[in-house]
Amino acid sequence: MTVLPPPTTSSYGARRRDDRIGETYLDSTTIGERVQELGAEITRDYRGQDLLLISILKGAVFFMADLARAIDLPLEIDFLAISSYLHEHGQTGTKAIRFLKDLDRPVKDKNVLVVEDMIDSGLTLHYIMRSLGLRRPRSLEVCTLFDRPHQRLVDIEVRYVGFQVTDDFFVGYGFDYRQLFRNIPHVAYLRLEPQQPSLF
Amino acid sequence: MTDETASFSYYRGTKEPGFATRTELEAAKLFDYHRIAWEYEPRTFILEQDERGNILEAFTPDFFLPDLDLFIEVTEMKQSLVTAKNRKVRKLRERYPDIRIKLLYRKDFVRMAQKYGL
Repeated sequence: MTVLPPPTTSSYGARRRDDRIGETYLDSTTIGERVQELGAEITRDYRGQDLLLISILKGAVFFMADLARAIDLPLEIDFLAISSYLHEHGQTGTKAIRFLKDLDRPVKDKNVLVVEDMIDSGLTLHYIMRSLGLRRPRSLEVCTLFDRPHQRLVDIEVRYVGFQVTDDFFVGYGFDYRQLFRNIPHVAYLRLEPQQPSLF
Repeated sequence: MTDETASFSYYRGTKEPGFATRTELEAAKLFDYHRIAWEYEPRTFILEQDERGNILEAFTPDFFLPDLDLFIEVTEMKQSLVTAKNRKVRKLRERYPDIRIKLLYRKDFVRMAQKYGL
């Protein structure tokens, strides 16, 4: 597991012109190298076995795509979409978290690796793991690009961690601000507007 | 705020919770949304007593999550409140080392609520 050093003022890239994108937190080379390491580790751990990677839309898609290509095994991929508190509860009053898109195929007796972009409280992942566990996969593990273990409310064993990160808001490499900036190849600080992201 | 408390599905207390702040209400909504059972102020911890046993200081955390065996204290952004609550949480941990408690800030709930924005 890698603990990041303090951020530097490295190259911002062409998209730096958008004032909402702050300094680089993690450049694409560093991300790529760590993804390759994770892929090699997963390859060793699952050699000779089946493997199904499950990504949670949308943030983890970029990490999932790179990680899958860094794993030297025949594998399957599938996707879940989870309702968002802000969009579902905040706007329509929906009462509880739910799958907006379920898996395309059963996971029973398969080795499942849930691929996340970020784990902090673990509340949502707790729901996902409980739901998938009921479907009786052979094994059920988690791989996350970013982790904030100090924010954890639910004890979840995370087998593969890319980086432990600070509590800042990020954009790029799948992380968004109001659906924007997921396609930036590096991870940058979100430079907050005067009206900060807010619940209430 | 009582009109918003009647529809909770995962509240496990016996009397209607009387939230002191908007942040507490939002925390309850977030637990409920994630299907996490919760109780509101179910237990008071004595932090300090005099030699006669009189209670000098006590602390009642805002939430208890029974399935996670975890107390949650919620705090606003005001530094004076944060400092006071940090001190109480630290004291509780010293006196009750088996109790698991977490101090959550308003920004933590903002972050949780934004997870999986689709």
